[in-house]
Amino acid sequence: MDVIFALATGALFGLGVFQILRRDLIKAAMGFAILFTAINLFIFATGAYDSDVAAYTDQIENGQVSDPLVQALVLTAIVVSFGALALLLAVVNIVSARYETLDSDQVDALQK
Amino acid sequence: MENNVLILGAIFIPLAGAITTLIFSRNNRAQRYIALGASIVAWLCSIGVLLMTLDEGPQTYRMGDWTPPFGIVMVADLLSALFVVMSSTVLLGGILYAVHCRDKCVTHPAFMALFLSMETGLLGAFYTGDIFTLFVFMELLVLSSVSLVAISDNRLGLEAAIKYIFISSMGTLFLLLGIAAIYATFGTLNFADLSRQLSTGERPLLARPAAVMLMGAFLLKSAVFPFHWWQPDFHTTAPTPVHAVLSSVVVKIGVYGMIRMTTLLFIEEADLIRDWLLVLGVVSIFFGSLGALQTYDGKRMLAYSTFGQIGFILLGIAWGTPLALVAAIVYAFNHAFIKSAMLMLMGVVSSRTKTKTARFSEIAGVGTKMPWMIGALYLLGGMALAGVPPMNGFISKLALVRSGIHAEQWVSVGLAVGAGLITLIYTSRTWQHVFQRKPDETTVKLKDTGGDSMLAPGLLIGACIVLGLYATPLYDVAEQTVDQLRNPQNYIEAVDPALWNGDRYASGQPDIFGG
Repeated sequence: MDVIFALATGALFGLGVFQILRRDLIKAAMGFAILFTAINLFIFATGAYDSDVAAYTDQIENGQVSDPLVQALVLTAIVVSFGALALLLAVVNIVSARYETLDSDQVDALQK
Repeated sequence: MENNVLILGAIFIPLAGAITTLIFSRNNRAQRYIALGASIVAWLCSIGVLLMTLDEGPQTYRMGDWTPPFGIVMVADLLSALFVVMSSTVLLGGILYAVHCRDKCVTHPAFMALFLSMETGLLGAFYTGDIFTLFVFMELLVLSSVSLVAISDNRLGLEAAIKYIFISSMGTLFLLLGIAAIYATFGTLNFADLSRQLSTGERPLLARPAAVMLMGAFLLKSAVFPFHWWQPDFHTTAPTPVHAVLSSVVVKIGVYGMIRMTTLLFIEEADLIRDWLLVLGVVSIFFGSLGALQTYDGKRMLAYSTFGQIGFILLGIAWGTPLALVAAIVYAFNHAFIKSAMLMLMGVVSSRTKTKTARFSEIAGVGTKMPWMIGALYLLGGMALAGVPPMNGFISKLALVRSGIHAEQWVSVGLAVGAGLITLIYTSRTWQHVFQRKPDETTVKLKDTGGDSMLAPGLLIGACIVLGLYATPLYDVAEQTVDQLRNPQNYIEAVDPALWNGDRYASGQPDIFGG
């Protein structure tokens, strides 16, 4: 289970980095969302000590209960990333209307 | 340990002000005065915290009275208190300028709210003693500054905003990754507790990668050499009051982070970090100064100049002797005032042109049609930036060069002095260009419509003169700050004495997980 989780996080991270480097602005924004999810999963993993016991429970059969703090951290990080993603998409929306393209190579008025 | 409410006042009164301005979104005048009021209160709070810190030692506020390291704690030691006083003063100046500013974006209903939330993010990031809260405040800072630049009068602001939001999101993502790595390794988010655990010299697998990621995030925030490319575009297209704040105090957040990294957290790796900072600082100085020399736009020139000046501050941190750290802190403090005043004056100049940009081809000779005060203030600001006595820029350059000679870093001192001369060239050249040339009648509005704020830049330049003629208090405070920084024990004990004694860990790991 741990290995699968680690592999999944790593794969998401790689996918996110790949997407964020694409020329299409929407795809880059999605890459940002994927990357954030990967990091959230990583934070989440730091608190699950062994097996998957809930944070607050008195029915422990095997293993140690999870760390509740990381769950609070992930929750905060999700809210922050949601705000950032909303703003990012809003800016992409206005850019696409003004430049009539989503190719980041063509949004280049600053170079002139 | 008493909770000091003034710390919360400095952080959350601007936030309350931001919400109140949104209620008055139809009444622009009311919005401006609410913002001004909120920033004055925040400024008074920050001064109060600095005075109390000088008087009684570091102040703290424990959220919800949780004992560290479990809750969020706000810590104002001298370094944070000094940086917050610097920021809140410049932010107050920015709002004072915006109150009388004639740019169109200032009348946007969300402008003042975003400006105040930027203040919350900045002051909160300086005060916090908890690394995850640092991430939250930094993200708040980024989101509000991106929105402010996107609504700029300059149409290119939108493009700069999308560039910056991608780059800076990557920065904050890596900060978050670093935080996760730190939590996975040490099981704490509290700076004081982290410092205590790092001082034992143990370096588990993820500790050093976390240091690298944190350094990357801080370098990106300060626009130091390999991460600098967004800075001139983003700062140039920002509305003038925002540019004045971004280029002078928002970039200092990385400087603050690097001082914390080398004096509180990763002390064992500090020498390695300093070697890197030395190289990056020298490259930044030259990149910034030469960029400022060859650019085509007055505001862009000042943005490049910030990039160079941050390099000077990094040199101070990189030499790392107590004297050099004093010089770095004095330099950072003085530079904030000089650069914000210069930018406001450049904004006054550019608002006289028909295109509202500060392109050199268009601002030539604009100053001859303006009150002589603006030219005089700009000349004083330029002198301060280049480090000519009796301005405060001279004091900071003198302190830096003296500390460099003490540290026997001849090569970097020589390079810094040489680059300082470039500053003199570009500031005097623009002054001549704007205030001495014959104006081009086709681009300049010859009739003075009045209403530009000279109050804020005047006050800031006044502060520059005072800090130049009577520099002892600031220098003394900086010396006390470095005395406090020399031993991380001061910081840890200020947060919680029990943390330093190790009482809390007497029986191994704390038993908060209930298992």
